[in-house]
Amino acid sequence: MNKKNVLFIIGIILLLIPVVLGLTSFFYTPHPPNTMNVANRMQYPSMEHLLGTDQFGRDILSRIMVSSRYALFIGITSVFFGSIMGVMLGALGAISKGILRGLIMRMIDGLMAFPGVLLAMMFVAALGEGIWNTILAISIFMVPVFARLSYSLVLEQQDKLYIKAAKTYGVKPLRMIYKHYLPAITPRIVTQFSASIGGAILTESSLSFLGLGVQPPNASWGLMLNEAQQYMLTFPYLTVPSGVILMMTVLGFNLVGDQLNDLLVRRKGRN
Amino acid sequence: MRFILSRLLSGVAVIFVVSFITFIILMMIPGDPALLSLGTEATPENVEALRDAMGFNEPWYVQFLEWFTSFISGDLGRSYLYGEEISTLILQRVPVTVSVALLSLLIATPIALFIGVIAALYQNKLPDVLARTLMQIGDAMPSFWLALLLLVYVAAGSSLFPISGFTPISEGFIDSILSILLPSFVLSLGLMGTMIRIVRSSMLIALKEDYMLLAKMNGISKFKTIVKYPLRSAIIAPLTIIGMQMAGLLSGVILVENIFSLPGLGRLLLVAVQQRDLFLLQGIVVVIVSTVVIINMITDILYRLANPTMRIGGRDE
Amino acid sequence: MKHLTKIGTSLLIAGIFLGTQTASAQDDDTLNMALSVDPDGLDPHRTTAASTFQITNNIFDTLVKVTPEGELTEGLATDWEISEDGLTITFNLRDDVEFHNGEAFSADDVLYSFERLKADESPRANDFANITEINVIDDYTIEFVTENLNASLASDFAYPWTAIVLEENEEELRNSPIGTGAYALEAWVPQQNLTLTKNENYFDEVHIDTVEFTMMPDATARTTAMLSGDLDIVGVSGDLVSQFEGNDSFQIIENQSNAVQLMAMNLGNEFLSVPEVREAINLAVDKDLLIESVFWGYGEKIGSHYPPVLLGYEDHSEAYAFNQEEAVAVLEEAGFEAADITLDMYLPSDYQSYVDAGQIIADSLENIGINVNIEVVEWSVWLSDIYTGRDYDLTVVGHTGRLDPYVLLARYHSESSENYFNYNNERIDELLTDVQTELDEDVRYEMFSEIQDTLAEEVPALYIQSPIGLSVTQANVRGYESYPIDIIELKNIYFE
Repeated sequence: MNKKNVLFIIGIILLLIPVVLGLTSFFYTPHPPNTMNVANRMQYPSMEHLLGTDQFGRDILSRIMVSSRYALFIGITSVFFGSIMGVMLGALGAISKGILRGLIMRMIDGLMAFPGVLLAMMFVAALGEGIWNTILAISIFMVPVFARLSYSLVLEQQDKLYIKAAKTYGVKPLRMIYKHYLPAITPRIVTQFSASIGGAILTESSLSFLGLGVQPPNASWGLMLNEAQQYMLTFPYLTVPSGVILMMTVLGFNLVGDQLNDLLVRRKGRN
Repeated sequence: MRFILSRLLSGVAVIFVVSFITFIILMMIPGDPALLSLGTEATPENVEALRDAMGFNEPWYVQFLEWFTSFISGDLGRSYLYGEEISTLILQRVPVTVSVALLSLLIATPIALFIGVIAALYQNKLPDVLARTLMQIGDAMPSFWLALLLLVYVAAGSSLFPISGFTPISEGFIDSILSILLPSFVLSLGLMGTMIRIVRSSMLIALKEDYMLLAKMNGISKFKTIVKYPLRSAIIAPLTIIGMQMAGLLSGVILVENIFSLPGLGRLLLVAVQQRDLFLLQGIVVVIVSTVVIINMITDILYRLANPTMRIGGRDE
Repeated sequence: MKHLTKIGTSLLIAGIFLGTQTASAQDDDTLNMALSVDPDGLDPHRTTAASTFQITNNIFDTLVKVTPEGELTEGLATDWEISEDGLTITFNLRDDVEFHNGEAFSADDVLYSFERLKADESPRANDFANITEINVIDDYTIEFVTENLNASLASDFAYPWTAIVLEENEEELRNSPIGTGAYALEAWVPQQNLTLTKNENYFDEVHIDTVEFTMMPDATARTTAMLSGDLDIVGVSGDLVSQFEGNDSFQIIENQSNAVQLMAMNLGNEFLSVPEVREAINLAVDKDLLIESVFWGYGEKIGSHYPPVLLGYEDHSEAYAFNQEEAVAVLEEAGFEAADITLDMYLPSDYQSYVDAGQIIADSLENIGINVNIEVVEWSVWLSDIYTGRDYDLTVVGHTGRLDPYVLLARYHSESSENYFNYNNERIDELLTDVQTELDEDVRYEMFSEIQDTLAEEVPALYIQSPIGLSVTQANVRGYESYPIDIIELKNIYFE
């Protein structure tokens, strides 16, 4: 077992934690996540409450479990939508010519120039807060990375002999994308996909922290940290648990993304 | 020359597209600024009268054209909320945002260079493993969480760092730096991951170049050679991506300004969103995005001038 | 005028937390204060934000002023007289007042200001629609003629939005206002700081020379700044007050506000239109626990739309006392299955305590089987969709206090544009119409009492509490008083 594998396994373990917590929360949480018990508020960890209780006496572990669902769901779906939009836009830009290509490229450049948080803030302000709007905002923020990747990959492919051959046979553009380009660029896209999930989860929690993402009574790690900020002086412990799990999850996805990159892209490049 | 011209033109096109898209998005923002200003006592007649006075009853394209023509002549209009010129409001905040961004670059660059170079020299040995661990943690660390932890465990307990607010340089250099040190540190950690990665890989490539072997054969000490060749390219490497990092850096600034209550563009932006001050919002967005576009343009052009043979990947020249 | 409210300040809608920053050097000439909410411009006629009035009230004057006890006293007017029929009020104005730019103050400025306040773009246009005629008699005498009788006419001229402004200043009123007040605006950089300097020509005593406001949106930051001695006065929440307790360097000031906080119910909803359902909702919520959890116990439980500090208060706080079994029984008796009821609750995201309170109420309602969907909306959306559009089932919000009970209760008239409960009761409509023209104080208060009783019984809302405001000052601060309307008189503050 070499070092690469160790990192990969660490990554998988880290990311399995929120997955298991999130899935378990569908049928079991130690306490109901939204039930308040003021007499028991702001408790440090105990046998009864393994991670303690928050400002309303809600069980922190149960809330973290439920939050895992949202973090994973929002992270994965927004990268999913973002990658589909991005890949199509980039591929379209690469196979088209003239004004259309110029327009698409300016759009991508324009999106690239938006600081992500700014873009997401604008979208959330326009569409309103809530889970689906957060997903839409983050996926748009993901578009340029995928668009530029697929643009350059398709351009690269266009120079290849079999594509030129297919073209001379008069294969239709859509069929070209589906039959020839997609299979060739898929490994790179998959790598980028897994590497982007960590960032998407981070963006979700940042937005929720600013009060622009997931809203109460739903739980989100970012939102829990937002609430914790109020009690910074009286109960600083509240800032710890949800931050730790958030960081572990992102680290897990990043490690797995990096190792996939080594596996699918670099190794292939070497052959 | 043709390249510079086309780069300039495409930059202007991007700014136009961006301001148009922004305008459309802002038009979709629900919540009526007139109603917000009138509050819980308003009658429908009041709201209608105020909407007229604010110019919101014009068709959207008229509003956009009016806005864009005055934007080109340098006039961003007046903030509805503060009654102040938007350009004044933005200029008041630029020093804060720029100081935070600059200080974080100043912190991140030397540390990233040092760590990146050491990691490359000791590839796959302990220093490299440590450097890469740090890189991973830097990437995974949520900046707002780090900010929160610093506030709770560093700032709240000491009188050295103010918990919020900005001290202008005019009130003392040290105080001013202290007031933005924690936020800048948070930002720099986010920048470091990418920087270390770039320094390390460009250093690794340079170390494998033929001239290293040549130098060795000529009996020049390894240290001298490293200082002379690979280190140079390692130092230049992160500079070339500053343009691309700009958007990410500003994203981070917006976040930390809001956590540390620094009165910069990021806070102004959040208030403009919350108070539906649409022209103020439009002004800030366009100014921020234009800055990114212009810096990108300049670095692209400089890069091109420095390496005439290079083609910048992904662009469609 | 003793029917006005007694004590209290409300830190409610767009509340402000003020703090003073005296210089650690104990510079008696500078009072540095902290703002938690940025003023939304400094034009007193074009804002509804309490945080803005806290500033503008010191830059501008009103014709009539209020004492901390709620009595009316002279302002720019030395005295006033109400005609026999009660429809005309005549003010005698001070002749020794100057605006900050040296311009002399006269009745024309009053005329201009009230015309501006009555303009369509003004949020108060409705409140002053009753004034049909304003006549300048001479430079220092002005009369207002009203259409309908208003028994508390004079108090209308004491609110901070009735500030007297200068016509030539109109264009700049939002960012560089000129008033006649005890302090003049020196500089304002939004979101950073705001400086006021003493008006040397003010007609009354002003103690401190310079007041410097620094923007500090974060409660923790304000608290630490206070603890380290950088601030002299700070508004705090119930959980943070513990940081100052038992420390002789600070004084803790509690003041019962005259605001009311409630969960409004939309009677347009098929379930909520049934009195028994509203009754069950009231029975299901433990208000004491709610006040303890969200407000750390700093609030006075209420049972009707009337703060305990307002004269004529009837105690209904124990009506529908917490009893979840009874709540279920009431629902069943009325023929409802709790599980069939689903209600949408909207909470304004800008007010953390309302969001918190809403979650606790929802939790209680789920306990008796009613389903609640919570949606958190921004304040602007709340105003347009919930308050104005009345598109909601439940919402938690607060109403700021008023000097006259009529203004407080007028929203329950079925025709009122502010009746977002969709409450409709003929008897209440009749009372609200009659009380305006009734000149006998005792009869008026009987009417207010009947309205309170009816609201407490029919519960168009879950009346929660009237909050207790908490301020902390350094031990040497004197003259910091709270008023029944949301203002702070900086001129009275001094250091011992």
